[in-house]
Amino acid sequence: MKTENEVIKLIKEKLNPLEVNKLRAQNLAVKLENEELVSSLNYLKSKGYSHLATISCVDWIEDNEFELVYHLFSYEDKINISVKTRIDRKKSKFVTIKNLWAVAQYYERDIHDFFGVEFEGNDDMEELILENWNDTPPMRKDFKTRDYVNEKFEWREYHGQK
Amino acid sequence: MKNLNGGNTMDKSKMTEMFFGPNHPGVPGNYGINYFYEGDTVVSAEPNAGHLHRGFEKLMEEREWIKNTALVCRICVMEPDINEMVYAMGYEAIGEIEVPKRAQYIRSIILEMARIQAHIFSIGGNCGAIGLYTAMHWGVLARDYILDLFEEITGGRVYHIYIRPGGVRHDIETSTFQKLLDLLDDLEKNRMPEFEKLIFENPTAQKRWKSTAVLNQEDALRLGVTGPTLRATGLEHDVRKLMPYGAYDEVDFEIPTGNNADAWTRMKLKRDEIFQSINIIRQLIKNIPDGPVSVNLGNALKYRIPKGEAYVKVESGRGEYGYYMVSDGSLKPYRVHVRGTSTPLGLYGVEALLPGTRIEDVPVWAHSLGICPPEFDR
Repeated sequence: MKTENEVIKLIKEKLNPLEVNKLRAQNLAVKLENEELVSSLNYLKSKGYSHLATISCVDWIEDNEFELVYHLFSYEDKINISVKTRIDRKKSKFVTIKNLWAVAQYYERDIHDFFGVEFEGNDDMEELILENWNDTPPMRKDFKTRDYVNEKFEWREYHGQK
Repeated sequence: MKNLNGGNTMDKSKMTEMFFGPNHPGVPGNYGINYFYEGDTVVSAEPNAGHLHRGFEKLMEEREWIKNTALVCRICVMEPDINEMVYAMGYEAIGEIEVPKRAQYIRSIILEMARIQAHIFSIGGNCGAIGLYTAMHWGVLARDYILDLFEEITGGRVYHIYIRPGGVRHDIETSTFQKLLDLLDDLEKNRMPEFEKLIFENPTAQKRWKSTAVLNQEDALRLGVTGPTLRATGLEHDVRKLMPYGAYDEVDFEIPTGNNADAWTRMKLKRDEIFQSINIIRQLIKNIPDGPVSVNLGNALKYRIPKGEAYVKVESGRGEYGYYMVSDGSLKPYRVHVRGTSTPLGLYGVEALLPGTRIEDVPVWAHSLGICPPEFDR
């Protein structure tokens, strides 16, 4: 069992992170370059961080970037690591990690639904939650819920009010 | 929907396509499994999710921090308090807010009550899946007594909106604690032995659950499955012990485990966990300290925390419930991502693990693995 500081030291030595932070007890955050991500995840997986909780995507519209966050957990160290990388918002393309965790293909499909990010190597990118969606992916910050509603649906009168 | 048989090279003439759900008494919620079967065995399956998508994550970005407490509990009907707790924990982690001791104790009591009702309901639901409707109704009844207490404490039966950032909404009366203890006594002495006779000594339940819906340890770890499903494979992993929250580091309890990894083992674990929860609540009520039950965070509509992020998790009745929360320092959350417990099993698990199951066992598979569609449709 390793402490947070030992894990930080290990990450700094073995990987090539842009930034490693201790957010709070049992929680670390690692920022990586795009190219480093898959190999780093592979390394962390071999070191016991084999529980992939989920993959999150955050739309940083002001920086014109999407941030992909991979939440790993080790049952031995009892530490959560959020491994993060930023991709260009316009291109919105990244590589799949389904060869490391097969379950990730569905998380990636989910992100594709809601953010429109393509994952190279994951060829099953059918709609998962949404159906026949042809607008901006809904979780992007520039998708405005109310505009969409006004455009797609008709306001009906209800008790004399619109 | 895409062609279900895409890539499948098996003889199509022998197989029949079946749409299981989205409206079916055997599925837990509006969620479908589309599968091909040959004889009476499933050969390939695909999840058909999305019927319950209500856009929670988007809605949360458009509401002030406090307003979301009334929203998150609706993400999973079975685990409302768990969602409130994770949300509050995320807020407190980013804002570095210290929650008073008494609030932590009350939160843990509420969470354990929630666990008991979820387990009873789940055991009842599993009985429904194999046709033991009496046990199902008994499960609903036993759960209702706990909901009565929830109503007394919070004013709501199913959705409580009780745990909020900074503590809990208000204190619990001593007389209510006494009612809770009486209820636990009744549960332990009367109801659980009845369930034992009705369900666990029932030959039908044993035949249908034993060796059904087996999920081995390797697959469970590979998929990121947690909770009783993982513990049924012999591992003692529980978020309450791994990353203690609430008052769990101050109580003494055991983590029941099993070895056969089938539906039967999972049901027995849930039964054992009910006894553990009863034990935890008794300890918490005995040792509960006095003091405030929340910290003053100012005007509720003007809650503000600094920039930051947190991945927080809680042990729900079915395993790890996680939220990834990001704050940009404004009045509303910048991003909240919900990791429902059954996400890996309900999506990828159906494709990878369901094939090989008999048609009649598909409801047992879905119920005993705790598939809860609203949490991955969100």
